[in-house]
Amino acid sequence: MSFFKRVQEALGAKKAELTPSEPAARAAEPTPRAPQSSPGAAAGPQKTGALEAVRHIIAVGSGKGGVGKSTVSLNLALALQQMGKKVGLVDADVHGPSQQHMTNAERPRFQEGDLLEPSTYQGLKLISVAMFSSTGQAQLMRGPMAAQVLRQFLTQVAWGELDYLIIDLPPGTGDIQLTLAQMVPLSGAVLVTTPQEISLIDVRKAMNMFQTLNVPILGVVENMSYFICDSCDKQHHIFKAGGGARLAQECGAQLLAEIPIDPRVAEGGDAGRPVLMGHPSSQVAQTYLQIADRLLAQAALQQRTDGALGYFLLEWK
Amino acid sequence: MADQSRVKRIWQQDERTLAIVWTDGRKSLFDVVELRRQCRCAHCVDEVTKEMKLNPDSIPESIRPIRVESVGRYALTISFTDGHRTGIYPFERLRQFG
Repeated sequence: MSFFKRVQEALGAKKAELTPSEPAARAAEPTPRAPQSSPGAAAGPQKTGALEAVRHIIAVGSGKGGVGKSTVSLNLALALQQMGKKVGLVDADVHGPSQQHMTNAERPRFQEGDLLEPSTYQGLKLISVAMFSSTGQAQLMRGPMAAQVLRQFLTQVAWGELDYLIIDLPPGTGDIQLTLAQMVPLSGAVLVTTPQEISLIDVRKAMNMFQTLNVPILGVVENMSYFICDSCDKQHHIFKAGGGARLAQECGAQLLAEIPIDPRVAEGGDAGRPVLMGHPSSQVAQTYLQIADRLLAQAALQQRTDGALGYFLLEWK
Repeated sequence: MADQSRVKRIWQQDERTLAIVWTDGRKSLFDVVELRRQCRCAHCVDEVTKEMKLNPDSIPESIRPIRVESVGRYALTISFTDGHRTGIYPFERLRQFG
């Protein structure tokens, strides 16, 4: 039985009191994707029905745990939104979901039919496995089941028309990452790291994975780069310096930013108020706007010029 | 840097030939029976020893795809008339033998 179905049944009693959701945005005009005019070319319907009006799917990954992937994903998504883009965010960390706590977003509502209406935070469409379980409850799932949850987040949620769907990946290079890279034509991936070499060892594995799966690396974000204390302007490099720049050079991508350590980031995360909303004038928030700006300038997110088919399905006769 | 070419056009050339034009302009033709025999999935090749478990002679000349579908942005997969559908063919590998 599908994860959603089980949840839907578990919520059965409450379902009746839910207010009807707004008309699904997926009724919006689908945007053109891969060229479909080539004679004889297979250009079947998108396998991923709920994603048909999503222009770019971007993975935020690192291979390494604890570097701030979720914080970066969320604030980057909000920064993109502040630049006037329509943005969604998938918390693909099934075993360690944090996006709901970091936003206090509500449980999503089930709508008529198959699709689930995503939750929202400040206009950002959001889904996380944490929205379907009580606080603190562990998701005891083996890889294939966890991958299945991601599959359902992508295919059974009414994402509607989006410019960018950000996927906050769990650490590692396993089932979730592979499912994602096999299921959808990702526009690219953003690598998050902290400065020290021991972090880079893991992040290089993620880099390697994306290269093997032909997913362009859009850029590198170095998180927790340095700390500026109250009484001096000196940058204190607590976790060493230069790792992000080195990684960017190794994978031929741009170093999008070095984000300083600011205790308000952790406070905001715990309180469900991301730094971009809580302290928009802080250096960290400004850095996120810079990341969004630099990301959008990446060629892979511009109009597709090589004419590659995104998704194709050819029926043999 | 690895070969990053992707599929620009894909079609059925004739009864048993799959045709692909790549984003770098190159055209490749594949015999679909040969593709089935070259399957590298875990059923056909031992994951550890890399030893062929599939006997190519066991694949009849009459085998055909049912459908050919993209896998992410790096590969395609084929469902065959013998029910086999676990093979993933990375574009990079296809370009090496096409």
